[in-house]
Amino acid sequence: MKTTTFLTTLLLLATAACSSKSEQSSSNLPNNTPLGQASVVDEDSDPNILQVAIGSEDHSTLVAAVQAAGIEHVLVNAGPLTVFAPVNAAFDALPAGTVEDLLKPENKGKLAGILTKHAAPGSYNIDGLKKEASKGRKLYMADGSYLTVTTEGDEVFVEGAKVIASIQTSNGIINVVDKVIL
Amino acid sequence: MKTSKYLMIGGSLLLLSLFVMPMWNITLKAPQYPDSIGMNIWINKIEDMNPNDIKNINLMNHYVGMAEIPEHMKEFDIFPIVIGSMAALGVLFGFIGNKNLYLTWFILMCILGAAGMYDFYLWEYEYGHNLDPKAAIKIPGQGYQPPLIGVKEILNFTAISKPLMGAYLMFVGMFMTLYAYFYERKLEKIEA
Amino acid sequence: MKLTNYITLFAVLFAMASSACMQSNNNGALGGSAAEKVYVAPGEQDEFYAFLSGGYSGNLTVYGLPSGRMLKEIPVFSQFPTSGYGYSEETKPMFNTSYGFIPWDDLHHPDISQTNGELDGRWIFANANNTPRIARISLETFETEEIIEIPNSAGNHSSSFITENTEYVVAGTRFSVPVPQRDISIDEYKGNFKGAVSFVSVDEESGRMDLSFQIMMPGFNYDLGHPGRGDSHGWFFFTTYNTEEANTLLEVNASQNDKDFIAAINWKKAEEYIAQGKFTTMESEYAHNVYDEHTHTGTSTMKKEVRVLDPTELPGLVYFLPTPKSPHGVDVDPSGEYIVGAGKLSASLTVHSFSNMMEAIENENFDGDAYGIPILNFENVTAGQVESAGLGPLHTEFDGRGNAYTTFFISSEVVKWELGSWEVIDRKPTYYSVGHLMIPGGNSREPFGKYVVAMNKITKDRYLPTGPEMEHSAQLYDISGEKMELLLDFPTHGEPHYAAGAPASLIAPRSKKFYQLEDNEHPYAVMNEGETKVVREGNSNVVHVYMSTIRSHFAPDNIEGIKVGDKVYFHITNLEQDFDVPHGVAMIGANTSELLIMPGQTKTFLWEPEKVGVWPFYCTDFCSALHQEMQGYVRVSPRNSNIELSWSLDGE
Repeated sequence: MKTTTFLTTLLLLATAACSSKSEQSSSNLPNNTPLGQASVVDEDSDPNILQVAIGSEDHSTLVAAVQAAGIEHVLVNAGPLTVFAPVNAAFDALPAGTVEDLLKPENKGKLAGILTKHAAPGSYNIDGLKKEASKGRKLYMADGSYLTVTTEGDEVFVEGAKVIASIQTSNGIINVVDKVIL
Repeated sequence: MKTSKYLMIGGSLLLLSLFVMPMWNITLKAPQYPDSIGMNIWINKIEDMNPNDIKNINLMNHYVGMAEIPEHMKEFDIFPIVIGSMAALGVLFGFIGNKNLYLTWFILMCILGAAGMYDFYLWEYEYGHNLDPKAAIKIPGQGYQPPLIGVKEILNFTAISKPLMGAYLMFVGMFMTLYAYFYERKLEKIEA
Repeated sequence: MKLTNYITLFAVLFAMASSACMQSNNNGALGGSAAEKVYVAPGEQDEFYAFLSGGYSGNLTVYGLPSGRMLKEIPVFSQFPTSGYGYSEETKPMFNTSYGFIPWDDLHHPDISQTNGELDGRWIFANANNTPRIARISLETFETEEIIEIPNSAGNHSSSFITENTEYVVAGTRFSVPVPQRDISIDEYKGNFKGAVSFVSVDEESGRMDLSFQIMMPGFNYDLGHPGRGDSHGWFFFTTYNTEEANTLLEVNASQNDKDFIAAINWKKAEEYIAQGKFTTMESEYAHNVYDEHTHTGTSTMKKEVRVLDPTELPGLVYFLPTPKSPHGVDVDPSGEYIVGAGKLSASLTVHSFSNMMEAIENENFDGDAYGIPILNFENVTAGQVESAGLGPLHTEFDGRGNAYTTFFISSEVVKWELGSWEVIDRKPTYYSVGHLMIPGGNSREPFGKYVVAMNKITKDRYLPTGPEMEHSAQLYDISGEKMELLLDFPTHGEPHYAAGAPASLIAPRSKKFYQLEDNEHPYAVMNEGETKVVREGNSNVVHVYMSTIRSHFAPDNIEGIKVGDKVYFHITNLEQDFDVPHGVAMIGANTSELLIMPGQTKTFLWEPEKVGVWPFYCTDFCSALHQEMQGYVRVSPRNSNIELSWSLDGE
């Protein structure tokens, strides 16, 4: 029996030595850019979509949502991107509790889905949007959906959300809108 | 025929292997030659160990003023005749079957072998010491003579000199003729 | 239990434990440290070769994996002063085209030759995107041996992919053009512009290329291509975009159609049509440049015609597979069954099934046609979609264990997913905005699924800054386990688009060490110093110098009798026969690059002296201990001088 115990111990030791080696090895690389390209420190270049949004008081809810969804790096991508950026009031107008609910970690995927529906590959400023509307073309969004562009007089609407302003950034265009597109 | 005769004739004939395989090898090792470079010495020629080795040895050696490895030497004419004659003589002695002739052949072979080694040493000495006074690199007191047999450090090279299969077969042959002599002597004692 | 039994039991258990341990070491994320995995100790060699396209450098770079060390830059489509490629008289013909001498191109997609769908490591092919050409590079000499121009084409992007026995290397047209070229309004694009797809045959023994035939496709943009394999051998798949046939502001106008196509081309059928004579012979002009390893010289031949097949007239030659949103990469899995289309504006990947496709063709499940070419019904050919895999999918490679790896440009990641279930298994960020990726053998029946290299378009802060222009970054991931593990980040040269990799054991043993001098058939070669000479062509101003190099001198090294206005050709033979002993040569004031001459090789540069004087030349490669002594002089006299030509070495 003594021998058996001895052997078992040895075996356990062998396995333990082996497994402890495995554990320490998995993530020994420092990650200096946890947010991908969004972690790049660059104060000289023209600001990109994310940086402009962060600097805008009117978009603090949007920025918080982008951060909660963990898609900062998409907004700093080479693009060109067009982002329809709802103002804080647009989020406030949603049914009570909606935003709080979406910001919960378990709804990260859903939130990312909603936000990417606000981003289109390509550059569309107000004039560009008007042209799309006049040609009856829909906007193809990053989540795979299509949004309808309409005009009323001089005003442009995307899926019913009014474009209030258009800001040129280094990697695309921010069109400020008054509604969240769901 | 007697066993000793077979041994004597077979042993002498083994000398002929020197015509089909190299006798000796000199290899030079250095870090910049991961595969080593070297030459195989036959009784009638010197050959590359790997393609172009002799050319590269000559190239390297010209910096210290060493002569090129000769394509032809008088030995290349003499050795084949000596080896061929000794083989023929050994076969003849074998047929005669006289044990004293076996011993005579063996001793003669030893003398010739020693003479050959001495000649080889002289050539190596000449090769390693006869340096061009206009050489680019001169190291006072430094000789470049390769070892007769064994290993020697020459500057950044390790030189290795060793017999090859031809020489080994010759040694085996010589041993067989010596054994033939003792075998015959023992047999005569038992008979007597 | 006897003691011996215990010992046996112990041995067995210990062996089991150790083997379990070994397995966990192989298990990607659970394995040894990243540093250990990429550390190739001094004197050790890498496990894989990786050939990365140099993009706008026009060259191909060779890296070792897993170390990420750059081993060589092979000049292909760009002049390369480092070796004299494109500057030496012998290699200038390699740059000849129907447009004349073109010193540069944009090299995109290398592909290693295959036999039976597996890498054979004999040659690597690469395409020139700008002035359409395909090059073949020997993997024995690592030199460009052949370049063929592709006529009737522009933007040769969907190239240079090979079929599974290297029967053909293909070329496509990204920028459709009028065929034949003519003076018409750009507005007349639709219907008048064509996108030729070319099949260039490769000789089984010599590797020599020949433009076998072209299929004159509608004027879409043919973006990328990959061959069928296994059951789908005999087919070739090309992605298209701009099926809108827009000719301006494509970033908007070519993104309108919900679906573009993957064109499935039955090249075996094309061979039948060719055999039946159902082609037209079109007058054309394109250069075919071949470098001979024995004469060390390139020759350029102008070809005059090409056989053309019309897919709108020839049934069964081409089918279109609808694929969402401007597909970029089209990649075929190792079995040949799945055809993955990466709609670059889409959030999902579309996977078509080859057997579905054959069934749809059989049942004529067509959804209309484009210029008479049947469009197969999307629902009938699709095997599945990888939903919400990421943003901006570009390229897919396979590990041979049923997994696929796709790059996503916008979301900057590599995503691992499973063939068949279409489930995402793992995703890892890239730094930043990845374009292509490469698994050694990833475009073959037998991938070596140990590593994937991600080649990125944006570098930013990954390395020490080097001014506004940074080399592109690449990342190496261990993919041997369930989860991918980032191992290494290294800079690459130019802009790597695609890459090709192979185990070192396939290529290293056949790598040439030097050229045999006795095989040198260069007309101006010398076999020894005794043959060196200087010859004036009659009374002309053309002088040929037959020169040799060997450690550590030129022969001859003193030349007199050269006159101002002479055209002096220096033909230099390196007499060395030893691995890695090149000599270089450069002449003061010569309007060309230096030459780097490999042992046994002959190269030529032209010098046209304009000034009287005594002018030195020297060896540019630190060849030996007396390299600094390796030099010579040429005396240049006035045009009307009557000094005879003479040459010497050491006064002899």
